[in-house]
Amino acid sequence: MSKVKSFAGGAHPSGNKDLSSGAAVVRLPAPEVVTVPLCQHLGAPSRPVVKPGDEVKRGSVIGEQNGFISLPTHSPVNGKVLRVENAPMPHMRSGPAVVIKTESEDGGEVYEPVPDWRNADISLIVNRIKEAGVCGMGGASFPTYVKLSPPEGVKIDTLIINGVECEPYLTADHRLMLERADDLITGMNILARVLGVTDPCIGIEVNKPDAIELLEKKGAKVIRLKVQYPQGAEKQLIDAAVGREVPAGGLPLNVGVVVQNVGTCVAVTEAVCKGMPCIRRITTVSGMGVNSPGNFNVCVGTPVSTLIDAAGGYKGDVRRLISGGPMMGMAMFTDAAPVTKGTSGILALVPAEVRDVVEGPCIRCGKCVDVCPLRLCASVIATASEYGKWEDAEKAGALNCMACGTCSYVCPAGRYLVHHIKRAQNEIRALARAREA
Amino acid sequence: MTENRIFDLAVSPHVGSSKNTKKIMWDVVIALIPALIAAFWFFGPRALMLVAASVGAAVLTEWLCLKFMKRPVNFAFDGSAVVTGLLLAYNVPPGVPWWLPVIGSAFAIAVAKQAFGGLGHNIVNPALLGRAFLVASFPVLMTAGWIAPMQWKDGERIDVQACGVSTAQLSESGEFDALSGATPLNALKQTFTWEGEPERSEEVRSMLFSKESIKNLFMGRIGGCIGETSVIMLLLGAIYLVLRGVLELRLPLSYLGSVALFGWLFGGQGWLDGNPLFHLLAGGVILGGFFMVTDMVTTPVTKKGRIIFGVGAGLLTMVIRRWGGYPEGCSYSILLMNLCTPLIDRYTKPLSFGEVKKNG
Repeated sequence: MSKVKSFAGGAHPSGNKDLSSGAAVVRLPAPEVVTVPLCQHLGAPSRPVVKPGDEVKRGSVIGEQNGFISLPTHSPVNGKVLRVENAPMPHMRSGPAVVIKTESEDGGEVYEPVPDWRNADISLIVNRIKEAGVCGMGGASFPTYVKLSPPEGVKIDTLIINGVECEPYLTADHRLMLERADDLITGMNILARVLGVTDPCIGIEVNKPDAIELLEKKGAKVIRLKVQYPQGAEKQLIDAAVGREVPAGGLPLNVGVVVQNVGTCVAVTEAVCKGMPCIRRITTVSGMGVNSPGNFNVCVGTPVSTLIDAAGGYKGDVRRLISGGPMMGMAMFTDAAPVTKGTSGILALVPAEVRDVVEGPCIRCGKCVDVCPLRLCASVIATASEYGKWEDAEKAGALNCMACGTCSYVCPAGRYLVHHIKRAQNEIRALARAREA
Repeated sequence: MTENRIFDLAVSPHVGSSKNTKKIMWDVVIALIPALIAAFWFFGPRALMLVAASVGAAVLTEWLCLKFMKRPVNFAFDGSAVVTGLLLAYNVPPGVPWWLPVIGSAFAIAVAKQAFGGLGHNIVNPALLGRAFLVASFPVLMTAGWIAPMQWKDGERIDVQACGVSTAQLSESGEFDALSGATPLNALKQTFTWEGEPERSEEVRSMLFSKESIKNLFMGRIGGCIGETSVIMLLLGAIYLVLRGVLELRLPLSYLGSVALFGWLFGGQGWLDGNPLFHLLAGGVILGGFFMVTDMVTTPVTKKGRIIFGVGAGLLTMVIRRWGGYPEGCSYSILLMNLCTPLIDRYTKPLSFGEVKKNG
């Protein structure tokens, strides 16, 4: 058994994963109406290529790629376009979306599978991953093909598959590792071949022993990781797994590493081996605010309210609805917003689970400094931000913060450190843009 | 189809640890209770009276200041004023009149804390500045208000050995002065002044450093300030804080380690002949090391900075004990290091993840 590895710092929020970790993934049929966002990936939104009244097929392109860091968007159903409009989004107030009336959910215009991926031309595989609209399924939704196209001269020697799932409550990746292990390993091998990596590995926290055992039995190399938040943050995972520090402001490829989520691997297998574009994902629905938490395989564009109904509906006084995990997820103002490719979970939390406090004065206890996985002094940056001293905040390293929320989590004064730091980041970037202009 | 619901928005993270400022402050209060029991045991009911007066004055002053400044008065009950009141009382001799800790506490809260902006904004430890104010304003009371342990119970019969060595016993006349039972540190300080009498100094020091004396120091059966004498009870409180996850050990360990090291280096008459154990257990080092060096507000936030702070305070404590004007240097050393905290923080800012040292 390999050694349990970790990064330095971090905290240990209560996992609450047993609410849903035992629930097998349930496949939900497409709802009557899907609202497919054109901005499910990081980067420029897809450009809509359909108009109201158009017939669309499952898998047909409804939004085309619009730039390098962008992806096409596909219809998850056969049906008729009702509207192309701005709709509420889980990760922003509103964004462009195509609203489709569902007629059926089979057949459709899917791609030809790539024959024999072990010997196929690599550009063919990368192109398929691009045209199938595969993006990071862990939450950040970065277009996968971009990570597979390193700039000239950059040598990638390590591929780490992220099965850490360090966010509390979320169990979608855990279930995926248990139920789609073969597709996961195939996807990992496809990505390894594309990158020219011979020895890919999967990083998993030791609170998922069944997944570790299963994947090892199937021949995958697993790196055991300590249960510590944020173990699954890209830079921390690389540090823990292979002991390399990604430079500040740099990318994993600067240290020869590519990290891909386990869900992304399965999406790659679907795209390459079955010709299926990225139109479904596994999402956890959990929290004390739903009757029966579980994991669901849903079409993108499914309204959150449909998912909540599938989990037995709301229970009690739901204080907050979250897209993603409780540490980095976004609070949603409405459950009319749709599921996207990056929706790893939907949480309905009751007051007992949510920390709602009035911000107190900083007592300089230094806990935020102790836990910061990026070795930043959160209290110093936040104070500079509160006083509008953007330059001081920048000098203190505000731009390096990834907003993992560990500092806010441990702060006894209940300070909204992440909020203050994000605000400083926005102001610093705005100032830099103003200087350039 | 169900009606869509609307929810409140909030910034992430949406969950938090259950620790909060109030819980931390009350944990410190709980951790200080054992020492209060020891104070009652050795110095009698008047110790309790002085502590009560001090805590009452601290909370009342806090409340009045907040009221006056039109700030939320519930801050007065977050436990931080209680901690300041307790620590101030623990740092005055047990023989002082009741109004002395009251003045000290009022000064600590009004001037050292609220005038700088209240909780989290004070530059120096309020209790220690309160004590320094009392030493400057009432020097006689603050340096002669000692009571021998158990005197309140045993009446006239004073256990001289229990005091370590009393000042009076060491005086020229050889007469014992029952009213000014001294502290072991007073006795040690005196030996440094007997330049011409090395044998006499040596004799007293060997008494102070004896097993019996160390045992008394550990139990608290010595003269000293109200809350500082009983090492064992203070350690009980410290263990509680460690178990509750309140105490970060870099500060106390670096401070105590530094006191021990420098105590051994120059805590005796010459070099390398001090007794580190004596220096750790005597005076306010244990109280200061676990409850004042560790004051979150006035100490560095960086890990390296905390070690520098502790070592610096330990060095200053020993320099004052050996060469300074007072027998005890714990409180002034911490106050001086408090003033260095912003500087220490600035120069010990860690290199963030993936950052490369410039010109490195």
